[in-house]
Amino acid sequence: MQSPLESLTILIAEDSAADRMLLSSIVRRQGHEVLTAANGAEAVEAFRQQRPQLVLMDAMMPVMDGFEAAQQIKELAGETLVPIIFLTSLTESEALARCLEAGGDDFLAKPYNQVILAAKIKAMDRLRRLQATVLQQRDQIARHHHYLLNEQRVAKAVFDKVAHSGCLSAPNIRYLQSPYALFNGDLLLAAFTPAGDMHVLLGDFTGHGLPAAVGAMPLAEVFYGMTAKGYGLSEILREMNAKLKRILPVDMFCCATLLCLSFQRRSVEVWNGGMPDGYLHSIASGERTPLKARHLPLGVLSPQTFDDRTDVLPMSVDDRVFLLSDGVIDTCDANEQLFGVERLQQVFAANRQPDALFAEIEQALRDFRGEARDDVSMVEVSLLEAAQVSPPALVYSDSGQSSPLDWSVSFEFRAATLKRFNPLPYLLQLLLEVHGLRAQSGALYTVLAELYSNALEHGVLGLDSGLKRDATGFTRYYQLRNTRLDELRDGFVRVHLQVAPTGEGGCLTIRVEDSGKGFDVERVMQRPAAGVRLSGRGVGLIRQLSRNASWSDDGRSARVEFFWEAQA
Amino acid sequence: MPVVTEISQGGQKLTISIKGRFDFAKHQEFRESYENLQPKPESFEVNLKDATYLDSSALGMLLLLRDHAGGENAEITLTNANADVRKILAISNFEQIFDVA
Amino acid sequence: MADTHLDRDVLSALQEVMEDEYPILLDTFLADAEERLVLLHKTGDAQQLMNAAHSFKGSSSNMGAVRLAELCHELEQRAKDKNLSGVEKLVGEIDGEFAIVRPLYEAERQRALPTKASVQRF
Repeated sequence: MQSPLESLTILIAEDSAADRMLLSSIVRRQGHEVLTAANGAEAVEAFRQQRPQLVLMDAMMPVMDGFEAAQQIKELAGETLVPIIFLTSLTESEALARCLEAGGDDFLAKPYNQVILAAKIKAMDRLRRLQATVLQQRDQIARHHHYLLNEQRVAKAVFDKVAHSGCLSAPNIRYLQSPYALFNGDLLLAAFTPAGDMHVLLGDFTGHGLPAAVGAMPLAEVFYGMTAKGYGLSEILREMNAKLKRILPVDMFCCATLLCLSFQRRSVEVWNGGMPDGYLHSIASGERTPLKARHLPLGVLSPQTFDDRTDVLPMSVDDRVFLLSDGVIDTCDANEQLFGVERLQQVFAANRQPDALFAEIEQALRDFRGEARDDVSMVEVSLLEAAQVSPPALVYSDSGQSSPLDWSVSFEFRAATLKRFNPLPYLLQLLLEVHGLRAQSGALYTVLAELYSNALEHGVLGLDSGLKRDATGFTRYYQLRNTRLDELRDGFVRVHLQVAPTGEGGCLTIRVEDSGKGFDVERVMQRPAAGVRLSGRGVGLIRQLSRNASWSDDGRSARVEFFWEAQA
Repeated sequence: MPVVTEISQGGQKLTISIKGRFDFAKHQEFRESYENLQPKPESFEVNLKDATYLDSSALGMLLLLRDHAGGENAEITLTNANADVRKILAISNFEQIFDVA
Repeated sequence: MADTHLDRDVLSALQEVMEDEYPILLDTFLADAEERLVLLHKTGDAQQLMNAAHSFKGSSSNMGAVRLAELCHELEQRAKDKNLSGVEKLVGEIDGEFAIVRPLYEAERQRALPTKASVQRF
């Protein structure tokens, strides 16, 4: 069932008066409105003023011929399709070709055949309406596109608020990230722990656009929340994996590399799930150790099968860890050749100034591809002296009226618990209920962590800190730690906390005991405080950060105090 | 580029062969190749002999198959992967959850 | 060379389309044609000759003057080929053909009028 042809306004440009009259009648009889012109110039003017939907154009006309008029009318019409049917008794194909070149859409031969004319008008009108639909849909698509872009802008703004609690602007971090990284699934987070260590995450979600961005937000919240509370990488990894596994569809996951840089312990702890190799660059030896992906990406394995084991490597001041997303390796040139790991290694090898490495890589990518790619993410983190690093103050949400001032508590963590539970964040939260201690949260956490890890590693697990004197020994130490912890059957670490008021302020006493063999306290105390040492029970650190540090029971029991004055 | 399937006698094992680029364009075909089989095969093989390339959406598709095939208990083997494809499987450590032959 | 000078089928189709305006169409064509003939005689320029012949050919064929249209086509070709020798003879032939069809159109015009007159009588 064909819909009746709607009435069109048709312009007839024909210099022969008789022909013009005839054609007008024919077209009017077919139900259309007619405009007439006797030459090309009149035709263009008539078009400009009345905007007919279709034009019947004689090729040969005085003043301005049909070809010129057709070109001008097409220009005036712009995007809209105004079909032009040339009226011609030209037969040579060259002449016909000229009609097409001038913008003609069809021909009608003389003598005019009404049936053919009607058919052509109908066909041209169909085309005209098709074009109008295309333009309408194009405009609709453009509008939707703008909405989507706006939604993404909003999503990014929300995400930036979540992400800004980090410390990417710290002096020891250099990074490169596209402003649209979020919508490529690239994620870069950094935050200080209460002890002044730094956690860094470089992640790459599968997919693009909002789905990738939406997964990034809960991940960032976990990362920042748990880092601020003093949780270690393994716990944070477990939580992130469980969360993503729970909320993401089965086929989505997040490749990630996590780092914990400890300025005090001169080490970097690494976990790489599915990301390209990172590199630990030792400035002294010039050696670059690849940090390979040993794990599956986050969000793939169930909590029961997830592997949260990290690798620990020694790191000196000025050493750098370099991480990159696969946007770097996968950068293609015009021949679809990949930039690849080898070229990256070449840039490394040619680098003389460590500070210039970033710029050199960027330049190499530009030279290779000819233009920048928008999903390249790189980050370089170096170890600074602890003094140069200033963690931001923790933000508390309570009013300060209900501070517990006179209390004590004792914990005994036994083998089964030592294996799977890190009590430090909990203990710290507990202690931070005491407002007077809040200003010293960094020192508090560091000392607690030091005491606990001594008790666990040297006490209960019997590890010799002397092992950590070189890189190989360092790795062996942490491997041994994991093995012995897995095999642990007996042993305990006890933590006693006591808070008592003293005058206007108060005093916190911490005692940590372990079930180990103890150590020669005298000998360790007499050792001179070495500058850069990987081992040594952190005794010096404990004494520096707390008051009245003492050891008893052959080193199995440690005791320290913290004081605070009245709050203003 | 097609996704070709072959089911063993008795319907015990389904072999899915991928030709060309294993990427998001194959998503629908890949899912359809195993989703509605009744009874569900007990084991699956994904033959990557003619697969030239694997991207993260392909890894996602493999996870979907694994989920369909029983999750942790799924029996899935990835076979005949070329060097490039093997590299991708290695970096992502998918070898830990799929048998790669 | 066609036998018919005027294709009657074309004329009846024209009358059907033009209805009351049929006579006006005939008049317009005849007036147009005379102007064209003047032009054909006057001009010596090959391009102009070609265009004029082309134009005349078009309207003649529309109006059913078959032989006239053919002659104009021939003139158009000659002018295109810049073969102007003996072209006056061809123009003369065109003159002659028009002289034949002109009274035929006028008769057609008269024939069409009574219809109008009979309407008026009512």
